[in-house]
Amino acid sequence: MDKKTSDQAGLHRRGFLKGVAIASGSGLAVSAQAQTPPAAPAQTKAPLPTAAQTAAEHEAPAHVEALTTEKTGSDFMVDVCKTLNIDYMASCPGSTFRALQESFINYGQNKKPEWLTCLHEEVSVGMAHGYAKVAGKPMAVMMHGTVGVQHAAMAIYNAYCDRVPIIMFTASAGPVEDRRPGVEWFHSVQDGAATVRDFVKWDDYPWSLQSFAESTVRGYGLATAQPQSPILITADGKLQEMELDKHEESKLKIPKLTIGTQTVGDPAALKEAAKMLVAAENPVILVDRYARSQAGVDALVKLAELLQAPVVDSRSRMNMPTQHYLYQSPRGAALIAQADCILSLEPVDLFGQLNRVRDQIERTWRHTTKATTKIINITTHDLLVKANYQDFQRYSSADLQITADAEATMPYLIEAVQREIGERKSMFDPRGQKMRDAWKGFAARSHAEGALGWDSSPISSARMYAELWNQVKTEDWAFLTPNNYSGNWQHRLWPIEKHYQYIGGSGGSGVGYEPVAALGGALAHRDVGGRLPIAIIGDGNFNMAPHVMWTAAHHKIPFLAIIQNNRAYHQEVMHIQRMANRHNRGVENAVIGTTITDPNIDYAALAKGYGAVGIGPISDPKELGAAIKKGVEAVKAGNPVLIDVIMQPR
Amino acid sequence: MKFFTAALVAGLSLGAGTAFAQQDTAPKGNIENGKKLFTANGCYQCHGTLGNGAPLTGPRLSNTQLPFDAFMMQLRSPANEMPPYEAKIVPDSAVADIYAYMQSLPASPNAKDLPLLTGMGVK
Ligand code: HEC
Repeated sequence: MDKKTSDQAGLHRRGFLKGVAIASGSGLAVSAQAQTPPAAPAQTKAPLPTAAQTAAEHEAPAHVEALTTEKTGSDFMVDVCKTLNIDYMASCPGSTFRALQESFINYGQNKKPEWLTCLHEEVSVGMAHGYAKVAGKPMAVMMHGTVGVQHAAMAIYNAYCDRVPIIMFTASAGPVEDRRPGVEWFHSVQDGAATVRDFVKWDDYPWSLQSFAESTVRGYGLATAQPQSPILITADGKLQEMELDKHEESKLKIPKLTIGTQTVGDPAALKEAAKMLVAAENPVILVDRYARSQAGVDALVKLAELLQAPVVDSRSRMNMPTQHYLYQSPRGAALIAQADCILSLEPVDLFGQLNRVRDQIERTWRHTTKATTKIINITTHDLLVKANYQDFQRYSSADLQITADAEATMPYLIEAVQREIGERKSMFDPRGQKMRDAWKGFAARSHAEGALGWDSSPISSARMYAELWNQVKTEDWAFLTPNNYSGNWQHRLWPIEKHYQYIGGSGGSGVGYEPVAALGGALAHRDVGGRLPIAIIGDGNFNMAPHVMWTAAHHKIPFLAIIQNNRAYHQEVMHIQRMANRHNRGVENAVIGTTITDPNIDYAALAKGYGAVGIGPISDPKELGAAIKKGVEAVKAGNPVLIDVIMQPR
Repeated sequence: MKFFTAALVAGLSLGAGTAFAQQDTAPKGNIENGKKLFTANGCYQCHGTLGNGAPLTGPRLSNTQLPFDAFMMQLRSPANEMPPYEAKIVPDSAVADIYAYMQSLPASPNAKDLPLLTGMGVK
């Protein structure tokens, strides 16, 4: 055996002996076969020599190649993942991780994590995004080397902007001398994370199994530390496919996963904040990506009640029960304008909350607060900022900036406020009464607006939400999608009380989030049991990943998808219209490149084609109630269901 | 470019509808043509197909109480976010037609008569 052969055999030395034993019985391949250059490039599909022919061409074999093995690097990688209590691995298949996939489904018995089949990497990642927000913990995703990560990029960006943890893996086909010609080169990469490095918190390409274990555990810890984010590990092809003998295995150690505590605001700053809030005449609590648990919601209610301060919710999470009299979002603009002290909790865009930019040729902007308004900002923003992508939004100064996780800080802020109030417990009662009075008016105003176009066809968004409520009011419903493109009716009239009933939006406004996040959220709800997950999905959004219905049908993930079908990328219709007006050219052509008509898409047929239940199109509001009733029954029977509703543009 | 009208129009038109009586000076518009123009000019994209309004994109226009002048002024120099429509694109006569169409629409039902609506959110 020459030096090269011996090096190549390296890891397979134990396999050699076993190989001899097998070969002697079966006359199977010898090591020389591995060195024999193929007669022609693989692509030409020349017939391969039979084992017997190959053997006959060579004299006594110096080395008998092992063709099978009992344990591989990829099995160890599964061992590592199993220590992390991950329930699912979503994936669209790809050969760069073939060993890992096989190890997960066989060696790992396809449990914890269970392998889920997605039909696009954007679905794998997007579903993990929705899942984490409902389950309160991350799931994993496996992406093909190079092309799979490229497919997934937008969904990763959404999750990053939304500060949601995902444990992501990709793969690469090992060192050059091991790669098959052609495809394996296209799917190999020196730096697999480079494509998405700007929007993952951390990534690594471990070069040993020990390093894989440490990086994966480290990655999990980083992903789940606030502010949370996706992380990416590249699983090298050679490491995956190498044989792992008992001796090598015994040297490997999987570190224990310890989830760190989250950052909490320092006591002096919280005392100062409490003073400012208690002294304020018109304090307002602005809340955005704040609560990640029911405890966070309950704590916010407690703080708001202590201060009798209105809460204005920008809805990146479910933060404040909509039926609480201190939920004052409907008059947020007026409250912000009058405020003398604003407490902002995990804002996504503080500048946008405190200023207004006018979208005309001249982009004018103005503060919406008084010049004297004091701002307290509790945020993890400064703990994860990168340079390139501008998700950090325009800079907005605070008078007291507390770098900390707002949810973890809340109990301490409450304590500080209680101390500051002392015996004066009822001092804010008159303010509370004003809030109760204002709150009572919200429903009446919403009803007056909801009545407009009540019988119209296309169906109004208020009518759709009212019909929906009527069918699900006795269920344990939960929304999987945001509602800012359909009138915010859930937040105006539905009693959103539980944290899981609303999970906010995409984070990065990458279109296609709604169906994929809905799929993942529905999965997490299914595992809890007894819930009715509902997604209101725009037709443009749905078209980015209609095959989520297949994954849902295949894996038995029930949810109700209502397609808010306005037959357009309607936001873009309005943008083009705005430009056409600005340029004085009339708006007739604004439909070019923005509408989805001629032919109209039959979404119910599409759903049926993917094995889900499809209902509609429904354009007569009088038929909608019955259609939703049928859909709800089908969801309760375990099906993913799509109802195509022809709706007003907004 | 218009630097000066926004504040004035805001005062006139936004949310001030009921404060104005309808003016006799409103030109007589052609309802049928107004219906076509409402669609052709994309008003419905933000204001709903029946001018019913949508919470985040544009207020109600059906049965508008705005005087014709304020209605016109909003098109020419919008109060805030609405894209401007100059006379070259929507001539005064077309505005009159759209106005007439909006006036002609049947009033929306009273919310009190819609138990499905008032029951929304009530357990
Ligand atoms: C891109 C969205 C958009 C389009 C298209 C649009 N509007 Fe508007 N409209 C608005 C918004 C937003 C307002 C609120 C005031 C503002 O922001 O300027 C408004 C306000 C109005 C008002 C004032 C209503 C009131 O009671 O104060 C009138 C009248 C009006 N629009 C008429 C029209 C007509 C007629 C058309 C079509 C020729 C049209 N709009 C097209 C968005 C739009």
